[in-house]
Amino acid sequence: MHGEASTSQVILGLSPLVVSLSIFVLTYAIIVTERINRSVVALLGAGLMVLSGVLHQTEAFHGIDLNTISLLTGMMVIVAITQKSGVFQYVAIKATKVVKADPWGLLVMLSLVTATFSALLDNVTTVLLIAPVTLLITDALCISPYPFLFSVILASNIGGTATLIGDPPNIMIGSAARLTFNDFLVNLAPVAVLVLLLTLIPIYLVWGRKLQATAENRALVMAFNERESITDARLLKQALAVIALVILGFVLAHHIGQEPGTIAMFGAALLLLLRVYDKQAEEQSHAIHHTFGEVEWVTIFFFVGLFVVVAGIEKAGALELLAHEIVAWTGGDFAITAYAILWVSAMLSAVVDNIPFVATMIPVIQSMSGVFTPEQINTLWWSLALGACLGGNGSLVGASANLVVAGLAERAGQPIRFLPFMLMAFPLMLSSIAVSHLYLWLRYL
Amino acid sequence: MTIEAIPLITPTFCLGPDSSQWEALEQLLENGLNHAPVCESESWLGLVTVHDLLGEVLPVSARMEHGLAHLGFVGDATAMLAAHLQEMKQRTVKDLVRRDVPTLRRDHGLMEAALLLYQQGISLPVLGSDGRLLGMLSARALLKYLAEKSGV
Repeated sequence: MHGEASTSQVILGLSPLVVSLSIFVLTYAIIVTERINRSVVALLGAGLMVLSGVLHQTEAFHGIDLNTISLLTGMMVIVAITQKSGVFQYVAIKATKVVKADPWGLLVMLSLVTATFSALLDNVTTVLLIAPVTLLITDALCISPYPFLFSVILASNIGGTATLIGDPPNIMIGSAARLTFNDFLVNLAPVAVLVLLLTLIPIYLVWGRKLQATAENRALVMAFNERESITDARLLKQALAVIALVILGFVLAHHIGQEPGTIAMFGAALLLLLRVYDKQAEEQSHAIHHTFGEVEWVTIFFFVGLFVVVAGIEKAGALELLAHEIVAWTGGDFAITAYAILWVSAMLSAVVDNIPFVATMIPVIQSMSGVFTPEQINTLWWSLALGACLGGNGSLVGASANLVVAGLAERAGQPIRFLPFMLMAFPLMLSSIAVSHLYLWLRYL
Repeated sequence: MTIEAIPLITPTFCLGPDSSQWEALEQLLENGLNHAPVCESESWLGLVTVHDLLGEVLPVSARMEHGLAHLGFVGDATAMLAAHLQEMKQRTVKDLVRRDVPTLRRDHGLMEAALLLYQQGISLPVLGSDGRLLGMLSARALLKYLAEKSGV
């Protein structure tokens, strides 16, 4: 292996800044067009960063945030195993029966369930688990699923804002800024809860009060036996135990001097052990092979490639430059910087994938540590997190979960169209950012 | 050996693409069939199967990709199934017809025909040179033919 990485010689003796920025812009541009699978583009961009000499391979690997990668992978494994128990359907049906299958009550409950799950699991998985049972219940009640799917989309993004593990931007920010699970809970969960409740008000006014279901259909849904949806009780107990342990681990992480990545991966390994310890070798291999097959490797490799691309422009100094520009533009005014990050993140997140944006902004904010105090930098992290997560509600393309629900809705014969969605969702997103703005002002500024 | 000597099930009807799914179901039930041919002005379009019609009766949320894998918790939901059955009157066969069913010729090789029947799991259409449906070849008919021919 090479020793300390020396300054790489960029290809053709060109400026590292120019080369790295070109690769960066090209990579992001192609990702935005969605013409080619984004993980392929990210990996190609990453490869170019190294092959062109901007980064040495060691530096590239160093730039990959393995804490984020292992946290994501670990949680994916845990969720992949847990969902086979049927527990998510159980919760959704139980919640429905609590409100006696009343349509508006159902909408509120499904939103709360979605937001809660989203806070603990990734948003795409959450909506993949909630959307089908939502469609079934609305089918049984003979009501349009549109308001419900709309609320599920919004709730998933809002819920994901509340915790360290709720949304990839938070995971990345928490990892880079050394912010803990508790930090996120204390700083962001309150505003997420508030935003969710406030979002339900317009939804009630537009759809909620018109939702009606016959007593017959409601009786049909009330007759659902949620206990039957638990297909594997033993698995359920094991999974819930491990999840409880992992969450406890996150909460105590700072005190025990551990990081979320290790906690998640260890939890995943523990759950895998519980699944296979009593099986024969071949069956074990098969079960584990299958579970690992359910991990979203496309997403993982997208992150890997992205981290390297960003490491490239960071090394070339582009992000420090950007940080200086921002500080110059805001005149070093902390409040304006915080608000600017909030609103710009939200607007961009509404139309493009927030992950590349956040990956780029992280080193930028880190570069500002010369200008602002550590407490102020923390506030900037909260601005970024709020903007990036809540901004995803702005349009159908704002977040992956949105597109997944739209895809399911399409297949169910109830398509969610881009413009109608945006007409309702964009104003709601703006008001959630306004609430966040107020929150930042009240609490930190 | 070819399939030309094997007796085909000749259809007494051919659904139009704009017939309702309910109509298709009625025809299948009346004639005791599992597959109904769909034709557009005399030429072959595809098949509507009893399997696909069953799918239409089930909730979409169970049929779709990433959909519900179990419906045990639903209990007695015959009202839902009945409602979906009613909705079949509003939907056309066009949305359900399988157009990519492999078709056979009258002089199709026996081995190849047998393999196709095995892979598809349904009876297959035999078309004339003008694209018209001559009849359906069933696995049962092929096996019967084989049994008689080989004197087993």
